[in-house]
Amino acid sequence: MRVVVLVKEVPDLEAAVKVTGDGSGLEVEKRRGLNFFDEIAVEAALKLKESHGAVTAAVGASAGAGVEAMRRAVAMGIETPLLVDDPALDGADSLTIARALAAAVALEPTDLVIAGKQATDDEAGLVGPMVAEILGMPCATRAIGLEVEDGSVLVTREIDGGEEVVRLPLPALITAEKGLAEPRVPGMAGTMKAMKVQIERTDLAALGVQAHPVLPVVAYRTVGQRPPVTMIEGEPADAAAELVRLLRQEAKVL
Amino acid sequence: MNGLYIICEARGEEFRPATYELLAAARAITAATGGEVTAVVAGPEVTLKAKLEGLAHRVVTLTAPELTPFSADSWVDALAAAIGAGAPRAVLFGEGGRTREVMPRLAARLGAWALSNCVDLRVNGGGADAVGGSTGAGATDGLGGASAAGAAAADGGSALEISRPVYGGKAYVTNLVPADGLLLAAFRPHSFDAGMAPAGLSTAAEEVAAPVAVSRVELVERREGGPRKADLTEAAVVVTGGRGMKGPENFGLLEDLAAALEGAVGYSRALVDAGLAEHAYQVGKSGKTVSPTLYIACGVSGAIHHIMGMDTAKVVVAINTDPTAPIFEYADYGVVGDVLQVLPALTEQVRAATS
Ligand SMILES: Cc1cc2nc3c(=O)[nH]c(=O)nc-3n(C[C@H](O)[C@H](O)[C@H](O)COP(=O)(O)OP(=O)(O)OC[C@H]3O[C@@H](n4cnc5c(N)ncnc54)[C@H](O)[C@@H]3O)c2cc1C
Ligand SMILES: Nc1ncnc2c1ncn2[C@@H]1O[C@H](COP(=O)(O)O)[C@@H](O)[C@H]1O
Repeated sequence: MRVVVLVKEVPDLEAAVKVTGDGSGLEVEKRRGLNFFDEIAVEAALKLKESHGAVTAAVGASAGAGVEAMRRAVAMGIETPLLVDDPALDGADSLTIARALAAAVALEPTDLVIAGKQATDDEAGLVGPMVAEILGMPCATRAIGLEVEDGSVLVTREIDGGEEVVRLPLPALITAEKGLAEPRVPGMAGTMKAMKVQIERTDLAALGVQAHPVLPVVAYRTVGQRPPVTMIEGEPADAAAELVRLLRQEAKVL
Repeated sequence: MNGLYIICEARGEEFRPATYELLAAARAITAATGGEVTAVVAGPEVTLKAKLEGLAHRVVTLTAPELTPFSADSWVDALAAAIGAGAPRAVLFGEGGRTREVMPRLAARLGAWALSNCVDLRVNGGGADAVGGSTGAGATDGLGGASAAGAAAADGGSALEISRPVYGGKAYVTNLVPADGLLLAAFRPHSFDAGMAPAGLSTAAEEVAAPVAVSRVELVERREGGPRKADLTEAAVVVTGGRGMKGPENFGLLEDLAAALEGAVGYSRALVDAGLAEHAYQVGKSGKTVSPTLYIACGVSGAIHHIMGMDTAKVVVAINTDPTAPIFEYADYGVVGDVLQVLPALTEQVRAATS
């Protein structure tokens, strides 16, 4: 059984984000790491390595980056890292990323692909199901439980307003929700291995992938559009009355 | 054709509010740019199509039996056929679990752009301020947006712009919707006002019965949560408790206020990690993203991970004993006080004011 995890390198949650000049660009502090949900996906793959002897691989797509995320995945225990590294992936459309990852996954017969529910930078949740569609695989999003059966997987997943259990024939793709697995902290040996690992690289031309055009950006802007806070003083009863008055008369939300 | 398609979605016997919001936004936009508004209903929703009378130029129903109950495999086939036939400029979805199963796969199938988490769509120069600033936006603001859009079109410009937060709301991007090519976009609830454009269109009906695949995904079991709790991302009002609520013995205070406001209750991760609340009701980066009209944070410190899940709320209220708590930087109204005292008082005032 071969399990491939899609791992995205994203800016740290605390990384500073600044709109440059007249809103034409965005400057993101270069503190990067493995996407929160992808770390859960990696752990789920490692569980299958331990329970079913699965062979594990990680693929990423990036323009001149992505090594941090790969190293983290390897430090946790992923055996084969593969990076699609191509200048055309800089700011690329999700569909281009998905095509690149799908082509990379398809280099070898694969039984299960695990992506994150979403990336913390764009919170889009697009790439996983796109890869499933391109590869012709059935897809279950927001998995919180996973059991491998003979030729299929049993997936417990969150849906709006509840949970469901579904069975998908393999090969299939699932996306990892918090709760699917508790990511391990890499040990010394894993970390040493990750430092030395040779990350295999390929590019769009080698994979035969056509980029999808990028949507033009009109402008970037920062938040802080929220006006300064109005603090309400007084005893609880008075403060509550004043708050309700403001919510009705000023904010007009009641 | 240059129209807009709305993928309608129901909860039970009524369409989601997002469906009406998107239809209204599409009417306002097409009034300025030309083109038609097409409402698409499929499978179980087809029985509700009468509710769309007057709200769109056209209602397209997808009636293949495989579409009921919802399954992503069948829906992607059916929607791809309908969208391919109509060649709209953009297809608008309400954010939600179902959209996140269907929209990306449609984009891959059709070679289209897809954007999640959108909060504004407007004709260049028109529309309400994209970012967070629509505090108290009422029907008049919405109509104002529509007429401003009209003015932009009269100038000869009918460029569509679409905005969404990135990096957990630390920045917003506005993209141009290209005149050629197809865009699929999912909008957070409450992005538009359902009353922002007059209805009363004459609605044509059309049926598409393209063959669709049977789902490869077999449903084994489904467990639905309670109806009120289920609405967290949908609710117009969200009351969230943080560690300052101390323990479950006080959660009734949150529920009382939420009930008085007809809203839903959320929790911070601190309470979820402590095993005191369920993850399905966690607000924040590793939980749900909510975008209500009113968000009330009770005993929540305002860590960036929490803010990422609620920063597109229209109006934010924070109640916290610590006047320096970061949550106040993200709030419109702040009360420094003990939630155990302020919450009952607030619930009482809300009941008095709304009864
Ligand atoms: C990768 C990652 C993902 C995360 N994802 C999320 C997420 O999705 N959602 C989330 O919420 N957090 C998330 N967190 C955790 C986040 O960083 C904070 O730790 C968490 O939000 C804190 O919860 P809290 O505000 O309830 O608790 P605290 O930070 O402990 O704050 C409690 C607040 O209550 C106030 N208080 C105490 N007593 C009272 C009282 N009687 N009346 C009024 N106020 C009182 C205090 O002054 C304090 O400000 C994540 C963290 C990481 C690292
Ligand atoms: N550049 C990328 N490289 C590898 N995996 C990615 C990349 N972009 C997205 N993914 C995968 O797709 C998931 C959803 O990403 P997104 O659509 O950006 O929210 C992530 O959690 C990853 O598993």
